[in-house]
Amino acid sequence: MFDVISRNFVFLMGGLLTTFQLAFFALVGGIGLGMLVGLARLSKNPWIYYPITGYVNFLRNIPLILVIFWFYFVMPIIIGEAMAPFPAAVIAFIFFEATYFGEIFRAGYQTISKDLIAASYSTGMTYSQTARHILIPIALKRMTPSLITQSIVTFQDTSLAFVIGLTELVRRSSIVDNMEVRSIELYGFAAFIYFIVCYTGSQISLYYENKARKVNLI
Amino acid sequence: MIEINKINKWYDDFHVLTDVDEVIEKGQAVVICGPSGSGKSTLLRCVNGLEPFQKGEIRVDGISVGDPKTNLYKLRKKIGMVFQRFELYPHMTAMENIVLAPKKVRKWSKEKAQTKAMELLKRVGMEDKADAYPANLSGGQQQRIAIARSLAMEPDYMMFDEPTSALDPEMIKEVLDVMVELAKAGMTMLCVTHEMGFAKEVADEIIFMDEGKIVERGTYDEFFNNPQTDRAKLFLSQILD
Amino acid sequence: MNFAYQFDWSVLWRDPYGLMLIKGLGMTIFLGSSAWIIAMAVGITVGTLRITKYRLLRMIGTAYVEVFRNIPLLVQMFFWFYAGPMLFGEVLSRQINRLDGLAIYVSILGLGLYTASRIAEHLRAGFASIGKDQYQAVLSTGMSQVQMYRYVIIPYALRLTIPPLTTEFLTVFKNTSIVMTIGVAELTFQSYQIDAETFHGLEATTGAMFIYLLLGMSVVKFMDLVEKKYKIQGLMGR
Repeated sequence: MFDVISRNFVFLMGGLLTTFQLAFFALVGGIGLGMLVGLARLSKNPWIYYPITGYVNFLRNIPLILVIFWFYFVMPIIIGEAMAPFPAAVIAFIFFEATYFGEIFRAGYQTISKDLIAASYSTGMTYSQTARHILIPIALKRMTPSLITQSIVTFQDTSLAFVIGLTELVRRSSIVDNMEVRSIELYGFAAFIYFIVCYTGSQISLYYENKARKVNLI
Repeated sequence: MIEINKINKWYDDFHVLTDVDEVIEKGQAVVICGPSGSGKSTLLRCVNGLEPFQKGEIRVDGISVGDPKTNLYKLRKKIGMVFQRFELYPHMTAMENIVLAPKKVRKWSKEKAQTKAMELLKRVGMEDKADAYPANLSGGQQQRIAIARSLAMEPDYMMFDEPTSALDPEMIKEVLDVMVELAKAGMTMLCVTHEMGFAKEVADEIIFMDEGKIVERGTYDEFFNNPQTDRAKLFLSQILD
Repeated sequence: MNFAYQFDWSVLWRDPYGLMLIKGLGMTIFLGSSAWIIAMAVGITVGTLRITKYRLLRMIGTAYVEVFRNIPLLVQMFFWFYAGPMLFGEVLSRQINRLDGLAIYVSILGLGLYTASRIAEHLRAGFASIGKDQYQAVLSTGMSQVQMYRYVIIPYALRLTIPPLTTEFLTVFKNTSIVMTIGVAELTFQSYQIDAETFHGLEATTGAMFIYLLLGMSVVKFMDLVEKKYKIQGLMGR
């Protein structure tokens, strides 16, 4: 029954590799940009606060598929030539996921007491030093469960790059399905792969959550 | 009549109740006191089957609580219960809190349930707060509503689980007044409380529990003026200063 | 910037494209609301299963949530749409595939079942925040388990869960965009369709973005009203 999987195994795994590559760039970029977005969302400078808040609130109201299309359409106009699906998808994902990671970082920064930040300044550190050595590391640590959960969501989201023709796992499953019409096995297999990765991720997140809870009890 | 016959209860390895015996006659008011963790609250929850017990027997009007064939839901209609933290339904008004069980369990009409509820609200002195939500009421007011909610099912017995221990001192009296009035009207009551003034006024018997056992029992005068055990003496000295 | 590109914003209102976008919005609202009804019904059921005292029911509830939230919605949608009919055997599947509007039914069901797992999770957190004595207080008035959940615990938990449910309600409308991949003509599909016909996808998708923004803002307004109506007095003041 699962011969369709074994015959096309290399082809499908190639798709999974693309899925992982896209997820990797989306996460590195999304988390990196998200750290800054979170800082900007707490900024007292209106020239920083309002534009970034507008960007976050705007994108969080838009479906990711549409955002992918939009970047796919706008990038050629900016760079003057057609853009391949992969880099277009990476750019769309970074800007989209950064709004979600940004809100997580913001919540993380807000758990840090004003006095702690004052203490950092009192030792002579600048704002960017305080952000880099105090705010970001603490937020990363305290928000680990939420960051993992959002990373799982990002990993699942990469399947949507399907719509601009990126040959990731789902696209390749559908290519094989178009030729062999074995939908149950093919989509069942894709679902299984995603489940394994995401379930493992959610258990790791749960572990950190319980660990954090224990620390707080003491 | 509630007959408690040598009941034992364990939480895993922890022996919460050991050979507890007690008989409460119709019309009697029994006060249970003792240090925290002595099993008082657990005992109440065994009587109306909210918590299972492993050995012994409890009979309410001859119906065995531990018997798996017993319909506990039917049994609980007979026994009202009042909790330490009131446990009013926060999304319902005082009136809605009171009429819910009569309407759904006793299948009373809305009018009948509301008439009864108004009567009870008057009895506990809360008739002007029928439409108030719990969060807008003081602790004492919430507890009086909770008592009215239990009485609405017209129970034969009332159990109180430290009904005043979560209250500010100035509110304790308003709740105790309602309880005294109930006892004097002949309600059969089982009260976990440390309010010795209340015990003096209404208790037919006081039970002192420690580490899951009944250590001492007697009338108010016997217990208060002439405690037999060191543990009871220590306990009394602690709650009286 | 490549200035060779000639913007043509008229694709947002020009005949027939303006009407396409409006029809798309109508479909998005229809799909989102229908899926929401299924999601609430299934979500409440599954969420309640997860806290019953029966181990088997709890396991079923947990399995449901884990499966539905650890598989991308797109994969679930493809599975229901392409593989779903096959599960009924060859003869029946051919009949199912001939059904008018099959993609729409699958969309609503797929989206509803997926969202249900998220609602169940939020509800479980709501249940967990209700103290044990509150449950016992309900039982002590003689109510049955079913009555307890139906009249007190579920309405209470739902009210506690209104803020996360608002986010989910917004998400349902955003997630409807995924069903364009199985050919349902909702808003994103229509904006893409405009690109196929005019090569002005940038304008079309930009327009669609603002329509989603307006839709989102209306949903937030609507949920504000719901929250005002149902908020627990004094407990969830803002």
